[in-house]
Amino acid sequence: MAKQPKGISYAKYGYLFSIPFVVAYLIFSLYPTIYTAVLGFTDCKGLGNKNWHILEHPFDNFKMVLSNDSFITSLKNTIAIWLMNFFPQIIIALLLTAWFTSHTNEIKGKGIFKVIFYMPNIITAATVAILFTALFGYPVGPVNDILVSTGIKDSAFYFLVDRKAARGIVAFIQFWMWYGNTMIVLISGVLGISPDIYEAADIDGANGIQTFFKITIPNLKTVLLYTLITSLVGGLNMYDIPKVFLNGGPDKATLTTSVFIYNQAFSGSYLYNRAAAASMIMFLIIAVCSAILFYIMRDKDEEKLNKEIKRAKKNAQKAARGQSWR
Amino acid sequence: MELNPDFKDQYKVEATVINTDSGYQESLDQALAAGGKDAPDLYCAEAAFVLKYTKGDAASYAAPYKDLGIDVNKEIADAEIANYAVEIGSNESGDVVGLGYQATGGCFIYRRSIAKDAFGTDDPAEISKVIGGGTQSWDKFFEAAETLKGKGYGIVSGDGDIWHAVENSSDQGWVVDGKLTIDPKREAFLDLSKQLKDNGYHNDTQDWTDAWYADMAGTGDKGIFGFFGPAWLINYVMAGNSGGTKPGEGTYGDWAVCDPPVGFFWGGTWLLANKDGANKEAVGKFIDWVTLDASDTGLQYMWANGTLNGEGGTKDAVASAAVMAKSDGTLDFLGGQNMFDYFVPANEYANGKNLTQYDQTINDQWRDQVRQYTAGNKSREDAIKDFKSAITDNLDVTAD
Repeated sequence: MAKQPKGISYAKYGYLFSIPFVVAYLIFSLYPTIYTAVLGFTDCKGLGNKNWHILEHPFDNFKMVLSNDSFITSLKNTIAIWLMNFFPQIIIALLLTAWFTSHTNEIKGKGIFKVIFYMPNIITAATVAILFTALFGYPVGPVNDILVSTGIKDSAFYFLVDRKAARGIVAFIQFWMWYGNTMIVLISGVLGISPDIYEAADIDGANGIQTFFKITIPNLKTVLLYTLITSLVGGLNMYDIPKVFLNGGPDKATLTTSVFIYNQAFSGSYLYNRAAAASMIMFLIIAVCSAILFYIMRDKDEEKLNKEIKRAKKNAQKAARGQSWR
Repeated sequence: MELNPDFKDQYKVEATVINTDSGYQESLDQALAAGGKDAPDLYCAEAAFVLKYTKGDAASYAAPYKDLGIDVNKEIADAEIANYAVEIGSNESGDVVGLGYQATGGCFIYRRSIAKDAFGTDDPAEISKVIGGGTQSWDKFFEAAETLKGKGYGIVSGDGDIWHAVENSSDQGWVVDGKLTIDPKREAFLDLSKQLKDNGYHNDTQDWTDAWYADMAGTGDKGIFGFFGPAWLINYVMAGNSGGTKPGEGTYGDWAVCDPPVGFFWGGTWLLANKDGANKEAVGKFIDWVTLDASDTGLQYMWANGTLNGEGGTKDAVASAAVMAKSDGTLDFLGGQNMFDYFVPANEYANGKNLTQYDQTINDQWRDQVRQYTAGNKSREDAIKDFKSAITDNLDVTAD
């Protein structure tokens, strides 16, 4: 056989180019993660404490966190706020995606709309927090002025002291900041679907709604999974808005687990061990939730196909073996 | 720098600017804990968290002033530094490790026009009597509130205005021997706050919000009689929000200061030196000039007279009472009143013994629960119970 011509091995460039990322990841992500995992089992608390040891009962910190009322409250809040912002977010984003990618009726000025919808995502959390604090000001503020002058309410409402209102506002901010981002991701997913399929559907006389549900959604599955998982991870790690907007208040209504963790470590007592334990608990929760989502959203058709191929191969082998024996 | 030109040749000043919002303490703690040549020689701490650096978890990094070549006890006496500032700036073994340049003892700052309308006079001595200045009791103050209500005014903008006075009048700090302690005087804030709200004695604003600023300009729901605060509140907050820049515009010039019912201080910055710093002598000289120099070329003299950056600058109450005694504290904003007449005694009333390193966190939680109670969202008992659990969940302190 002739020797293969000596080509350039591109593989080594791949490794070369990924070195910066890998190094940065090892130093700034993996090492702190492992360090945190270890800290959770120790008695490390207090500023600049270098003399810490693994606890006699290593899971004490975890037990303490799980029996901490504020942690339980914060976990419930986090999930509630995430759900309250995720569903409206995905529905609005899908709706906008359907409009912006519609083949039958082109919308004018798509680009401008996309930019406007994406805009809130560019503003930093601190700015958004100040903006909303001002909007919902009490006893005078734009929202209260509108409510009172239109007669919807008799007197100004103290939004930021009301637990439900505060939680709702945080969920709304999250929704408002992220629906544009989700929309852009979904649009790019739709643009990746082969136009042939739409053309075929068009010829077969499918209407817009049928096209959306029978073609767009099934083909968007992987992109939707991506959106779902990134939103889940982001949602369960929600920190900046709850922290800078109301600092977890009023009355713990917007206390998320990340704010709880911050408070453990930095709000006066430096309970690094408990903060680390709480972080690891969140890590596990997020990992398990993501795994479940992956399992639910797996491609069932492909799996069936794989199984069939396997079975067919087995049968073929059996048949082949049987033949050789004969 | 200009006054000490030789300084420039000897040392290089390196400043790392860090956002003082929430990242400041974390960055400073990291730098101090790491040590080495990048650690700061000099650092500042605000009243809300200074205890951590003088007596608390980070106290071990601070150098006693006497180790910096400062004859600290004599200079404190000469400059007449207020007691509260020294108490806060001393570490557990009684050595002074931090002092400020500003005095933050608080007064009651009221509107002259409203005083005339409601009480027939705007004389600070008379108004002091009306609101029970220096009586250590809120009774007279609430009587005055009732009078003001009859004329359609509120006495303060929100409950946050009286909080600093209440907080600092207590006998014990929030944490005593690792245990959460609610001093009766601080617990009484629940009732004072409720009383203010239920009787409509205020506009129910929260400090540092637009509505609070609006009351400084007199554009809120109803006219607000006054605010509790130190000199910095006048210069840096009220003057800018009064809706004017010279007498006759907005509420500018319509204010005066008098004694508060209970003595208190609010805010302030303490200067600390790193005990591992290499430039102790230089740092000592600088700290001395900033915090203890009572001469006419000290920072404080220029600060008190508003001449730091040339004539006509902002005047502020300074740490040294000796400096204030020989300075001119008249402000147009206060209708020509010399603010030092009231701010010098105010510093003596302030108490530096009831602070803890957890105050920032605990005060936030306390004010939060008090608001829940006054808004009618929960009972008094529940507010206290939830306050306790919020604190013990968060901090390494216990409660009953």
